[in-house]
Amino acid sequence: MAKTTIYAGLEIGTHKICVVVGEAKRDGSIKILGVGEAASRGVRKGEIVDFDKVQTCLNDALVRAEDRSDVMIRNVFLGVSGAHIESLNNIGRYRLPEDQTEITEDDVEEAKEIARNVNVPQQNVFLHSMTRQYIVDGQEAVRQPIGREARFLEADYHIIHGVRGRIQNAIRCVREIPLEVEDVVFNPIAAAQVVLSREAKNQGALMIDFGAGTADFVLYRDGMLTASGCIPLGGDHMTNDIAMALQIPNGRAEKVKVEEGSTLYQDVDSGDVLRVEDDTGHVIGEIERAFMYEILYLRAQEIFDQVKVRCEAHIGHLGAGIYLTGGVSLLKGIDAVARDVFGVKVTKVGSAPVSGVTSTFENPKYSTPIGLIRYAQILDSEKPFLSPLARLSRKVSEMLSVIPFS
Amino acid sequence: MVEYHRHSDAPAISQGPISIAIIGVGGAGSNVLDRITLDRTLDASLVCMHTDVRVLGHAMAPTKLQLGTELMRGVGAGGDPDLGREAALFSRDVIRQNLAGHQIIFICAGLGGGTGSGAAPVIAEIAKSTGALVLVVATMPFSFEGRRRITQAEEALELLQKRADALILFENNRMGELILPKDGIQKAFGAADQLISQSLRAVSTMISTPGLVKLGLDDLTSALSSSNGRCLFGFGEAKGQNRGAEALKKALKSPLIDQGRLLHHTKNLLVHVAGGEGMTLVEVEGIMKQIGRNVPDHTQILFGVAVEPKLGDAVAVTLISSLGAEALQSYSQAQTAIRLEPEVPASNEPAPKPAAKTSAPPPLPRSSEPEEGDASKAKTAADAFDLFAASAASAVATAPVATSVFKEVTTEVTHVIERSVRVDAEIPDEVTFEESETPEAAEENEVEPEVVAPMAETTSVPLPTARPQAAPVVTARERSEPQAEPAPAPARHTGGLLANVIGGSSSAATPDSDMFQAGDEGRGRFKNTEPSLVEGEDLDVPTWMRLKKKLSR
Repeated sequence: MAKTTIYAGLEIGTHKICVVVGEAKRDGSIKILGVGEAASRGVRKGEIVDFDKVQTCLNDALVRAEDRSDVMIRNVFLGVSGAHIESLNNIGRYRLPEDQTEITEDDVEEAKEIARNVNVPQQNVFLHSMTRQYIVDGQEAVRQPIGREARFLEADYHIIHGVRGRIQNAIRCVREIPLEVEDVVFNPIAAAQVVLSREAKNQGALMIDFGAGTADFVLYRDGMLTASGCIPLGGDHMTNDIAMALQIPNGRAEKVKVEEGSTLYQDVDSGDVLRVEDDTGHVIGEIERAFMYEILYLRAQEIFDQVKVRCEAHIGHLGAGIYLTGGVSLLKGIDAVARDVFGVKVTKVGSAPVSGVTSTFENPKYSTPIGLIRYAQILDSEKPFLSPLARLSRKVSEMLSVIPFS
Repeated sequence: MVEYHRHSDAPAISQGPISIAIIGVGGAGSNVLDRITLDRTLDASLVCMHTDVRVLGHAMAPTKLQLGTELMRGVGAGGDPDLGREAALFSRDVIRQNLAGHQIIFICAGLGGGTGSGAAPVIAEIAKSTGALVLVVATMPFSFEGRRRITQAEEALELLQKRADALILFENNRMGELILPKDGIQKAFGAADQLISQSLRAVSTMISTPGLVKLGLDDLTSALSSSNGRCLFGFGEAKGQNRGAEALKKALKSPLIDQGRLLHHTKNLLVHVAGGEGMTLVEVEGIMKQIGRNVPDHTQILFGVAVEPKLGDAVAVTLISSLGAEALQSYSQAQTAIRLEPEVPASNEPAPKPAAKTSAPPPLPRSSEPEEGDASKAKTAADAFDLFAASAASAVATAPVATSVFKEVTTEVTHVIERSVRVDAEIPDEVTFEESETPEAAEENEVEPEVVAPMAETTSVPLPTARPQAAPVVTARERSEPQAEPAPAPARHTGGLLANVIGGSSSAATPDSDMFQAGDEGRGRFKNTEPSLVEGEDLDVPTWMRLKKKLSR
């Protein structure tokens, strides 16, 4: 393990397919070697609906990434998302045998096993199961329980699960390229690795990755992953809203949204009319700017509302506030909407600095793919809070578990 | 070796191996015997009994016995239990000859048919009279086999219950879960046979081998003691490093246990762990610990361990328990009152339809669902269920026993539940299914455009009623001032009130919000995707459209 490793992260987004090649150095820093991006087709709400189209686009992105990074990509870390992905927290309580007072490794394993033993729908598989903390005799937030004296050991787990078939389909699509999928990662988990700092996680932070197809979120509280999930609504819906209001094609609506979009409808004069022209300069629609802004405002508000419903219990504990990332976070005024909904501080962020062609990658659009690199690195260094349980990585973890304290 | 607490009158056991006989009665019974013969896993004399010579000709059991040779002339009982009974009575002497000298007699029969239902009770009686222990392994017919067969099975079951020392009852419906839905019916029956032969093998191993911790027939009967109980049986065998845990995992996987979930409701659970000489205490301990997690504290765990050299380096775990049919039903109802609904429209009754409309459960986490909504849904589900039951009852007014109808519904329910477990997270799929299935939905499709998307009209002819709609496509210069004024106004006002409006709508699912779930209007590019339903509202439809609709009401 004493070498730098090159990883490739692949995010098949609703709007773009992005391959990032990064080099993880021994000191933990990451250098981005190259990024390949291609417009995505055949993806709806974060899930692949048309294999052929996706594969064509994926090939484009891959070739570009290989060109720029001068690396031959064979294995990728695949980011997945979709409405089917859900999460839950579960505590496994284990009572130590009578004749034993000190917690051993086996006891921890046992507690973990109990914690993981939850009922998820039959067709679902675990995508991640991460230790949040150990509780030793009621004492919370224990990171390392082995060697402590106790009667009870509890393992607190955050489990993310999704429908097996859908995850499998994404993997299959990538394999046919052919690329080997090293691990499957839930998108916001990856993005959070580069968006949220350790302090933010400790203070409590909600990261919303507002993409085109889905709004994925993860919530950290007291440094622990507490909630995560996916709302199948995103920038595409905004585009659709505009397209339907103006009766213009979606492509045009997308352009209007990106170029003129904002949610600050109160600051616009009521007489201000926005004209939408087609390629020939023909006016194909007109709309009052305030109304269009309001359309966007309403949609954004609704999406944030949905996120809020799912982490209602923790909203009061977000010391670091909300971190917005993903393509839609570039929309003007979106932070104000989030502030209205959640009532806490909102920050728009991209990936934290990594070396390489930095300026490009601080764009929030790339949070997830860069996060995938970071995730891969963490995975390899076997940080306890990210022990992987996805099927594909099981082999790796088994191998690593043989080596003590690696 | 065998503990005979309740059967002190049974002949004292001589030293030496216990002799076991397995009798397969009827078609299902002979299939099970075939399986056992092929597997060669059991040290027992196998006797196949049938009225039909052709079946006997195919059967692989070493001993074959034709019932009612002269009476039936080699033809089957044709689904008539009376004929089956007659045939068995006719050849009772031969039967007795074959059964004599065995200490344990298993009788396998598929209930519902002629020979199985008719002859099995007679054979059980004869077996009992030889002084042997009689264990009956019976299967209830699939629900699709018809009500008559189920009634016959019920009657035979009652007779068997009186005569047998222990009755292990399998529900074919549940065993259908063993295989994939697309697999052939042959495979379904095959899988059921396999499960039964496994259970036979497990039980006979359990009672006959000298155990380190013994389990006797008394334990078996107490594990199976619930009245009218259905057997919950799980068997798993595994080799290799993690064999204990693997074996248990397999045992718990048995569909008859429903992933161990049904074990939460049992009073007694029999656990038998068998392994080769290499089995360690740690393994057994690990298995028992794991089981302890799956059952509540008040459950009595009857535990046994045996060393069976035949197993080699494998470990086998057997779980046996039973649950009354009623308990099973109430469990399933409580579990999935809501999930029942998608199945309801499948019946031809028009009544359950409204239930189907409310049934689209939101894809949100369940916790966010308002409780009242839950309750009302459960109620509609219950209503629909009642209706269904009632209609079923009227449809079979000729059926003599009301309980049989009840049972039919029960099996239906369990069937549904098992499927719905899978459906659980696929809720959006269900919804699309509804869209295409419900004719009402289609009607709405046609009606709705007027309501939802009148914008095209608005641009040319400003209608007084279309006040809010004027806003979206404004040709500003043509528009007169008074119209322009109200246009943005409603939206603007709602700006402040939005939280209330949206919050209100999401907390109290509006009764007519389901209009959205069927129509494709307003979905635009999301026309062909699964709808993002929240509280019955399709969030793919532009927010402003939905809001406008709410305001105009």
